[in-house]
Amino acid sequence: MVDVSQHELVPDHTVLDDPEEVEAVLEEYNVNKTNLPKIKRTDPALRETEAETGDVVRIERDSRTADRAVVYRLVVE
Amino acid sequence: MTENPTADYEHVDEDIEAVVEDTELPRRLKDEIYGIVEEHEGISVEQADDIAKATETRYVDTRVDPLDPVGTVSAQSIGEPGTQMTMNTFHYAGVAEIDVTQGLPRLIELVDARKTPDTPMMTVYLDDEYADDRERAHEVVWSIEATKILALGDVSTNVADMVVRVDLNDETLQERWPREDDVGEIAQRIADTIEDALGVETRRQGTVIQFGPEQPSYRELLQLVEQLREIVFKGIEDVTRVVIRKEKLDDGGEEFVLYTEGSAFGDVLDIEGVDGTRSTTNNIHEVYRNLGVEAAREAIINETMDTLEEQGLDDVNVRHLMLVSDIMTNRGTIESIGRHGISGSKESVLARAAFEVTVNHLLDAAIHGELDDLDGVIENVIVGKPVAIGTGDVDLKMGSIGGGTAKEVTDGGESEIEPADD
Repeated sequence: MVDVSQHELVPDHTVLDDPEEVEAVLEEYNVNKTNLPKIKRTDPALRETEAETGDVVRIERDSRTADRAVVYRLVVE
Repeated sequence: MTENPTADYEHVDEDIEAVVEDTELPRRLKDEIYGIVEEHEGISVEQADDIAKATETRYVDTRVDPLDPVGTVSAQSIGEPGTQMTMNTFHYAGVAEIDVTQGLPRLIELVDARKTPDTPMMTVYLDDEYADDRERAHEVVWSIEATKILALGDVSTNVADMVVRVDLNDETLQERWPREDDVGEIAQRIADTIEDALGVETRRQGTVIQFGPEQPSYRELLQLVEQLREIVFKGIEDVTRVVIRKEKLDDGGEEFVLYTEGSAFGDVLDIEGVDGTRSTTNNIHEVYRNLGVEAAREAIINETMDTLEEQGLDDVNVRHLMLVSDIMTNRGTIESIGRHGISGSKESVLARAAFEVTVNHLLDAAIHGELDDLDGVIENVIVGKPVAIGTGDVDLKMGSIGGGTAKEVTDGGESEIEPADD
């Protein structure tokens, strides 16, 4: 099986396991968890992680416009 | 963050660094300013400050204002160039000898998120050992391209004896199975494949394979030949053709790159010699299945931008395409723009009805007793109320706050983002 995370189209995915971190994110954007963009629990990019439904994943993209762009997705079924 | 962003610059001293770092500019622009200062030696701190301030002013000007309808702007910014695109071009542009759908049909295909593109293709990069050796590159080609019987030899039917006779070509066999030394061995494997696929007994002599129907029947004999032609002996069924090209690398070297007609991304990634970090396909769903939703988002941006660039419309800002792509992948899967995707799943009944199949939406909404909160833009246009974007979302209150001065108060209403319908 190929290591998906090595592909240049796939940015770094990290699960936020500290609830406070999640809280800080939600506060920063002034949204509920469910307002975040979603990512499926079965997503190939999450295969190596132990993401559970309800977790928030931090994604660090190589942005075309801003070098690094950090976005968050909520893990859903 | 790097500890010292200006370590590489000779003519950037601490003072200059201080004034530049003090601005609101993003990293990339700051670095660019350092580059400029470096280039024009002897720029004073005051001058550097002026440059930084001027850049900052321009940068802040280009920011999107609060309550700006970015979706509508994106829709227009993609829609207008769309009118200049060719309706139908089936040319071998871009990649050698491979026919790729371009222009408007391709753009529509992308935003509609079709399950398979009209002309699926892959760009397959090779691992180092394979990339600069033509023979090894060909090895990968043969494990990707579907090999059928007609490529391997001649098929003839002998009606008198009721047999199908396959004369395999020694050279071709050797070429397509480079790892195998004995041609007979390869022929045997082909014979076995035929037995498995057609359910017949085969007889092999050297590289000649013969077989026939159990009961003498002319019709069955012909049917066997038909079926024989469809069997894939090597490679991936969906890939009908592979073109190998030598390409220049940035560092001046060269490497072999494969372009395929037909796409089976998941299978190709598993093949030995394929560089699984760079290879791509133009089928965004295959990217989604194999690499995930974030990769799909990147792929949509790349594909739409490439389509526009191909038509000379490269001055469309990539941010518009990023917005479209963000919306298409917002729910963790790829959704199409339009009736079956984004526009069809909007919260508001009126917004949905305004898009397509008006009566159905209104009827369904009536049956289910749906309510419309009138939060979005379209709904409010329909009922003739101010929309919650731009100045429409700002209330002006006179003398309501002590001191009797007028003060603007925003009610913090949500401005709905319109997807880029065309």
